[in-house]
Amino acid sequence: MTEEMKRELEQAGIRTEQALERFMGNEMLLERFLKKFLDDPNYGKLMKAMEEGDPKRAFEAAHTLKGVAGNLSMEPLMDAAGRITEALRKDRWEEAEALKPRIRAVYEETAGALKRIF
Amino acid sequence: MERDSRIRQAAEMPDTILIVDDDELNRAVLDNIFSSEYSIEEAENGKIGMEKLIDHPEKICAVLLDVVMPVMDGIEVLKKLNERGLTDQIPVFLITAESGDHTLKEAYSLGVMDVILKPVVPYVVQRRINSVIELFRARKRLGNKVAQQQTEIYQQAQQIIELNMGMIEALSTAIEFRSGESGSHVRRIHDITEYMLEHTRLGEGLSQEEIQHIAIAAIMHDVGKIAIPDAILNKPGRLTPEEFEVMKTHTLQGAELLEKIPQMKNHKAFRYAYDIARHHHERWDGRGYPDGLREDEISVWAQIVSLADVYDALISKRVYKEAYQVEEALEMIQTGKCGVFNPRLLECFLQVEKQLRNLYQDMADSGLKQ
Repeated sequence: MTEEMKRELEQAGIRTEQALERFMGNEMLLERFLKKFLDDPNYGKLMKAMEEGDPKRAFEAAHTLKGVAGNLSMEPLMDAAGRITEALRKDRWEEAEALKPRIRAVYEETAGALKRIF
Repeated sequence: MERDSRIRQAAEMPDTILIVDDDELNRAVLDNIFSSEYSIEEAENGKIGMEKLIDHPEKICAVLLDVVMPVMDGIEVLKKLNERGLTDQIPVFLITAESGDHTLKEAYSLGVMDVILKPVVPYVVQRRINSVIELFRARKRLGNKVAQQQTEIYQQAQQIIELNMGMIEALSTAIEFRSGESGSHVRRIHDITEYMLEHTRLGEGLSQEEIQHIAIAAIMHDVGKIAIPDAILNKPGRLTPEEFEVMKTHTLQGAELLEKIPQMKNHKAFRYAYDIARHHHERWDGRGYPDGLREDEISVWAQIVSLADVYDALISKRVYKEAYQVEEALEMIQTGKCGVFNPRLLECFLQVEKQLRNLYQDMADSGLKQ
């Protein structure tokens, strides 16, 4: 992982040093899972569930997405997913709906950065 | 439970961490943190986790458990582990994003060792989990050590008991040897006494341990003979009245000798040994010696040894006489020709006499005539 890559990841909101620590300094392992994130279905599942008005599925997807983002130290995404998770946990559907644009924006920024870098 | 003892008895320390989480990334992160120090096993839901754990619990040194999982969630798993008492033997850690009070409280009450929040910080999770694993291992090592030492102590105690028995028998046999008796006489008195206490009413109210002490004590009934001169002890003919008086003192001498042995006083068999040595020549009608005790003043065990001694003398060959036939011997005993006995004692004796006779079957030196 080059310094350049690390800077770009940081700019996309990914706390790279923190993530590396979690991965015990194993850059290859981190890279592998960062790439894999692009195939992670949970964002898609969340959006679909919200469109279909399925709170349960939405909650599960948001919760899992939060976990994945957390592990990869994707701070903004973890934060956004966390907010939606809590709203859905408390059955505040409107609140969750209102948070959709934010998570869309954050996800696209993160995913976009990853596509560029890898 | 069989599996319970497998964990306790496994001599080797468990070295495998079981990671139960439906998310591949979570599993990979934890695996990566611990794989340098431990073997790792993974399960993607609670059900598979339980299966792996139950299959080989003695190998697992820790369970890292997620809460939200399909099929069977973490709390379900915890409940099942708790039911089986496994949370006492294998440390379980909840690795969760949930920090809600309710979940935590329930988890702790089910026996979880620690709750670690996601996303994990390696040095924190390492320290917290390693500490507890080490604690459980130390406890297990200690438990093993204690169990091992208990076994050793028990074995040593057994050996000491056997040694003591051997010494008592040896001493008593040596003393009897002077008067031409063999070791089997002493052994038979022990066996007859024990049998009668175990198989008749005479043993009522006595514990098995007490019966064994009495039987040991019976072995020493004639140790006082060591103080009797050869000339009298082994005189082939009848004893003169003066000689008989000397002979009689073997009862008091025996009791005195036993009192003088320092270790004897502390031994549980002592009070029986003293009693038997002193009173095995008393008579039911009060005309025995040395104290002229009568009837129930004479203890049950002294009475039994008294009778056993007579019975054995009659039906074995001795230096001063031939062996009597069993029927004749019994007749002599019952008609008072060889001392006067408690009728109840005789009743119990006759109940089991045929079995007692079996003690003499293989004994060449008894010259038993059938």
